[in-house]
Amino acid sequence: MTKYLTTINGKQFEIDIDKEGKVTVNGEARDINFLPLSPALYNLLIGTKSHDMVVDERDGEYQVMMGGKLYTGEVLDERAQLLASTRTGAGASSGEISIKSPMPGLVVAIPVSEGQEVKGGQTVIILESMKMQNELKAPRDGVVSRINAAAGQSVEQGKLLITIV
Amino acid sequence: MNEPVQRKINKILIANRGEIAVRVIRACRDLGIATVAVYSDADRSALHVRFADEAIHIGAPPPRESYLRAEKILEAAKKTGADAIHPGYGFLSEREYFSQACQDEGIIFIGPPPHAIATMGDKQSARTAVKSNGVPVVPGTEPGLGDEELSHAAINEVGFPLLIKATAGGGGKGMRVVRRAEDFGEALASARREAENAFGDGTVYVEKLIEGARHIEFQILADMHGNTIHCGERECSIQRRHQKLVEEAPSPFMDPDLRKRMGEMAVKAAESVGYVNAGTIECLVDKDKNFYFLEMNTRLQVEHPVTELVYGLDLVKEQIRIARGRRMGPTGSFLEPNGWAMECRINAEDPYSNFMPSIGQIHTLLVPTGPGVRVDSGVYRGYEISPYYDSMIAKLICWGEDRAEAMLRMRRALSEYTIMGVKHNIPFHQNLLNSFSFMAGKFDTKWVEEHFKMDTYEEDPDESDLETAAIAATLHAHRSRQLASQVVTRNERDTSNWKWLSRWERMTR
Repeated sequence: MTKYLTTINGKQFEIDIDKEGKVTVNGEARDINFLPLSPALYNLLIGTKSHDMVVDERDGEYQVMMGGKLYTGEVLDERAQLLASTRTGAGASSGEISIKSPMPGLVVAIPVSEGQEVKGGQTVIILESMKMQNELKAPRDGVVSRINAAAGQSVEQGKLLITIV
Repeated sequence: MNEPVQRKINKILIANRGEIAVRVIRACRDLGIATVAVYSDADRSALHVRFADEAIHIGAPPPRESYLRAEKILEAAKKTGADAIHPGYGFLSEREYFSQACQDEGIIFIGPPPHAIATMGDKQSARTAVKSNGVPVVPGTEPGLGDEELSHAAINEVGFPLLIKATAGGGGKGMRVVRRAEDFGEALASARREAENAFGDGTVYVEKLIEGARHIEFQILADMHGNTIHCGERECSIQRRHQKLVEEAPSPFMDPDLRKRMGEMAVKAAESVGYVNAGTIECLVDKDKNFYFLEMNTRLQVEHPVTELVYGLDLVKEQIRIARGRRMGPTGSFLEPNGWAMECRINAEDPYSNFMPSIGQIHTLLVPTGPGVRVDSGVYRGYEISPYYDSMIAKLICWGEDRAEAMLRMRRALSEYTIMGVKHNIPFHQNLLNSFSFMAGKFDTKWVEEHFKMDTYEEDPDESDLETAAIAATLHAHRSRQLASQVVTRNERDTSNWKWLSRWERMTR
């Protein structure tokens, strides 16, 4: 039996999966048939109800795309729950943030400078790709500690552009 | 009028890529005409290359080094013995010199004559041409007037509210909205200053501001026998950053009288430049149904399928027929659409991250079909979306007896559409089709940017949806763990399973 604590859109579920794959949600058994179709595409039968869905995980965040809606949350197993309970609540508001190029492109402008304070949601770099200009924004308030690119420069996917602390 | 010479077309080179190249190849196949594709290094595996009878490599991935190289494309046409070139949209389709070069080389350009492209391609000459034929344009001044003249014209001829625009403009620089005559002088000075700083050119002009405007366009067909008709309108107001996202025909805003008047205007606009072949007259229509000529697109439009579905046309076939010097199929303008058609542009853009374009390999693809559904696409499973060209993956077009049926079919088709490997904007379309303003047909060109949010119109998910998502996420996580531990048991490693799991987790992160 593996116990999971799963949170989706802020709502928590205790989900247990036993060796035969039987699923229990908050102590109640569910009639589940889970069919992987490709690495992240699944069909899930709950009772007689059929759901096609895409499940993605990145850095611990789970995204479920189902019926045109996006659900987000986390899945913690016992070990992760233990870790989470011993961690003190610093979370996402501290630490270094690296803004990387999501795709190959051309740096059009960098409207911030090193040492500058930025607000969450503020545009820190403008990248041109696929004939469009795209604004990359600061995910939270902080200070620009390093700029690793310059306007006019072509960058590869995944290149570190700006570091915010 | 002299009977135009009939010209033979047995082989067509398509000077384009992506879904539109595939679309043109399909029309050629239907007509029994051989096809030649051209491709860049990035497009060796593209669908248009696979579907065409012949294919010729024309250069490196950046458009300037391949799809925009007129001389390379003409050389390819001569080498393969193509009688005609179809330019598609974008790339060389609206370059006067390309139409001229084809003519000079004795190759038929499937599009308008060079002078029509030139006149309509320049904002001022287009305004002058259509105005002389009695077509209303957005009231405004010519560029280059001095302060006094400009102010006089603004107050006495254009009226308020109005826009001051920089001739060299772009990105809203040097642009000012002025609502009262007393504010004009100050706004003009600051607009000039800003334009001077941004572009080194303080030349501005004034244009009336049309508030709550809709973007409605008319499809035109004209043959060499002196026939010019319109094929009704398309509503294109659902835009983001001037990129159309959804188009429909007819427009929910249209009535038979307005269609008749706007249609006549569109025909006159096309006739003012001696237009031949397919073209589109773009108009702004205000709340009170006043309409103004905006510009003419002298080519096939991306959104042409919605017109095809409500009028039973194949516009590419008509283009080829016209280029052959024949009379076009339809004999009169279209006034009554049959049913309703809607198109959603499926783009590789993430609506949850500010529509950031996305690249990658499409590893899973399930394309909707069924009654009333058409998909024009240039991709397939295994296809790699590259960063060199625009982000459009496909066009999903649905037809219904009325707007409601077209929308319901679109919702059904969107829910069937599964594309994985790149982020795409299908969730945007699903949310759009659930929004009350869209359902009611109440929107203008600013609506998506100013009023639409990805989470505003989503109904709150109920408890059972959340539980289903939670179960799926958990089973996905559970499966990943199992897969990880299987690797370990198979190889009988001496390190502990836990170590292997954490290594695997780090690897896949």
